[in-house]
Amino acid sequence: MRASRGWIATILIVTTLSLILLAPTFLGDSTPSWWGKLFPDRGIRLGLDLRGGIFLLIGVDSETGVKQELNSIKDFMNEELKDDKVLIKGFTINEETLTLMFFSESDLAKAKAIGETNFSEISNIDADNLSLDFTLKGVYVSDVEERAIDQVKQVIENRVAELGLVEPSIQKAGDDRILIQVPGASEKDRQRIIDIIKRSAVLEFKIVEATGPTEEVVLAALDASSPEDLAAKGYTIHPGDTGFENENFFVTTEKANVTGESLSGARITFDEQGRPAVSFTFKGEGASKFGVLTEENIGRALAIVLDGTIKSAPVVQERITSQGRITGNYTTQEAKDLALVLRSGALPVPVEIEQERTVGPSLGKESIEKGQTSMIIGGILVIIFMIFFYRLQGVVADIALLLNMLFIMGFLSAFGVTLTLPGIAGLVLTLGMAVDGNIIIFERIKEEIATGKSPLAAIDAGYGRSLWTVLDANITTLITALILFWFGTGPIKGFAATLSIGIISTVFSNVVVARVITNLIYEDKKVPALSI
Amino acid sequence: MDFLKSNTVPTIDFVSKMRRAIYVSIALLIIALGSLIYHGGPDWGVEFTGGTEIHIKLANEVSIQDITKTLDSTGYPPEVVQQLGLSGDHEYLIRFSPETVKFEQIQGFQSELEKIIATNETFKGGSIQRVDYIGPRVGGELIRKAVISILLGCIGILIYVMIRFEFGFAMGAVIALVHDTIITLGAISIMDKEFTLALVAALLTVIGYSVNDTIIIFDRIRENMKKNSKLGIKDVVNLGVNLTLKRTVLTSITVFLVLIPLFLFGGSVIHDFAFTLIVGAIIGTYSSIFIASAFVVFWRQRKG
Repeated sequence: MRASRGWIATILIVTTLSLILLAPTFLGDSTPSWWGKLFPDRGIRLGLDLRGGIFLLIGVDSETGVKQELNSIKDFMNEELKDDKVLIKGFTINEETLTLMFFSESDLAKAKAIGETNFSEISNIDADNLSLDFTLKGVYVSDVEERAIDQVKQVIENRVAELGLVEPSIQKAGDDRILIQVPGASEKDRQRIIDIIKRSAVLEFKIVEATGPTEEVVLAALDASSPEDLAAKGYTIHPGDTGFENENFFVTTEKANVTGESLSGARITFDEQGRPAVSFTFKGEGASKFGVLTEENIGRALAIVLDGTIKSAPVVQERITSQGRITGNYTTQEAKDLALVLRSGALPVPVEIEQERTVGPSLGKESIEKGQTSMIIGGILVIIFMIFFYRLQGVVADIALLLNMLFIMGFLSAFGVTLTLPGIAGLVLTLGMAVDGNIIIFERIKEEIATGKSPLAAIDAGYGRSLWTVLDANITTLITALILFWFGTGPIKGFAATLSIGIISTVFSNVVVARVITNLIYEDKKVPALSI
Repeated sequence: MDFLKSNTVPTIDFVSKMRRAIYVSIALLIIALGSLIYHGGPDWGVEFTGGTEIHIKLANEVSIQDITKTLDSTGYPPEVVQQLGLSGDHEYLIRFSPETVKFEQIQGFQSELEKIIATNETFKGGSIQRVDYIGPRVGGELIRKAVISILLGCIGILIYVMIRFEFGFAMGAVIALVHDTIITLGAISIMDKEFTLALVAALLTVIGYSVNDTIIIFDRIRENMKKNSKLGIKDVVNLGVNLTLKRTVLTSITVFLVLIPLFLFGGSVIHDFAFTLIVGAIIGTYSSIFIASAFVVFWRQRKG
């Protein structure tokens, strides 16, 4: 390889590109606004361990999503069979299978026909011994699970976005987890963020059948002996949190008449006593459904059920189509947050916090400073060592090293790799190992000179013979890095990405950049001896 | 170290020392495995086991026993208390089992702890640096993934070296790699360091470094096999190691030039990471010569 124009141009392009990609990292907020229109306006992302803040790993219960799916098949079958005057004797849901039981063979045949017309695409249907099995197909199950996690992510994104925090990042982590990072969030924000994220926010409107201070009272009102007995009659019992002593328990129909899905907005308002409350509006079909519901039930109590608890149960005075209000014992902040979660929609399946990390800002700052200091010290030592040992070629290696660092940082920001503490340490190690390729090559050149070759021939032979050594050595490391990237999560993935980028950039710097600079120095000159 | 400056190739007879080196390695492996067995495996960090971990920085040197005793008396018995970083940092890692502190209790627990730090004589002037809660589901999965990625890494390297070199070399490289991994793990265990995700990353870097070093020597051995086909395997290996010795020493120097500042000034969190890398780099360099290359000699001789 000569110092051809092609290679010089490549190096210049990569250098310019890295500088462009890195600019926002150094300019920070003072990056001019036009920059973002032309180039990426994000610099290197620093991990939470470097910035301080909150890190949450949320597990999404996608199994519930599958159960809900099976439940809706059951509801659909129930509706359809009602028209045919067929009764379902009972049902069970076991993992990915819904089993419906019937009284007679003819009922079963009817149900099977309806099931096959409607659900054969998504499930395998088997009839046996008066029962009908719907087993969801594997592809459909993963589809449901994927949809569940996407919806959860969307809802959480909406909620976190409204909190007005700086740069929250919400990513999918694996098949059933979501990673939330809120840099710079304080201890004070912590509980609020967790509450807002975890909140199911399932809003339902149901007509109240009975209410009272104890469970016994409300059960008796419907002639039921237990909550199970009540459920068999199609009713359900809810705890009340309305602030009235005689409304600790409510009985309503099991199915909701209208749900929060048809809400178009929610905002904080104040009730007649000036207490914080949440007002909501319905949209489209929801408004008309609500209109029908209220019109048919004037004079009865309408329960507003939030996540299973009845918040208020006002008596319907007139037909209402678009507006409603939830009152309760709220502080202004709580009412605001409730409005927020209602606006952003309900979580389709429950979530669970699996990991939480709060890093104080002081640790982050100290880590960065210490990491930087040790990196600079190490770098300077290596640079001095190379010049001391290889003289002019040492300078060449150092220039290649500095460009290498620039390339690595540039591409880290291009790929949006989050730089964590181990990542920084990995970078420092790259710095120490980066000159390895040059050492191999320079030692080879020296050997070639010792055999009596001319300087230019020695350079050619040295680079030529070392090329595969350098490649072999680095490809094996790259293999480990890529496997790590494939399997790793969170910090390990970041580390693997940093390592992979580092290896590729290092090989390029060793065999291309250093070579081109060397050639530029010695080309077309009669060189009596190399400075090596 | 004169040979570093001159251009003469050293003529150290490494091969004849390999037998003794193998005894050293076996001793090191026994110590490492012994410590791992004694400690009941690696001291998996909270990332793997689930639970709560608190990183605190105190104003004065306090003994681990005092910290444990104080926390015991406040009703939050810690599972493990460890010193973090260098002793001058006064930083400690306190781990609580998932039973002691449940997720719902973290908020309350943290303010309780802040109160203790503000009022208790032992903790005076301290501050909480970081609080981690990890649920039980994440942990086991992480261990599985870490083990799988190390195994797959070994297989990948084995295949690549087999394609580029030959089977004996590939086996030598992988044996050296397993050797390095176990001894480095042993060192972490003997020093009573917590095995965190960052240390998994460090261990994998050690593997990369070790293989890198091995390949460079192998490359030279193979080249000399072709060039000097009359030389016996012992001489070829000796020549290969000697020809690359200068590079081995120089690269080790540059690596230590960056690792030592990292170890000394990198701060408590980087400290353990740097420690692992330093141990790994020493073992990795040693094993490239005495384990990987020795295996090539053994393999070739067995093949006749």
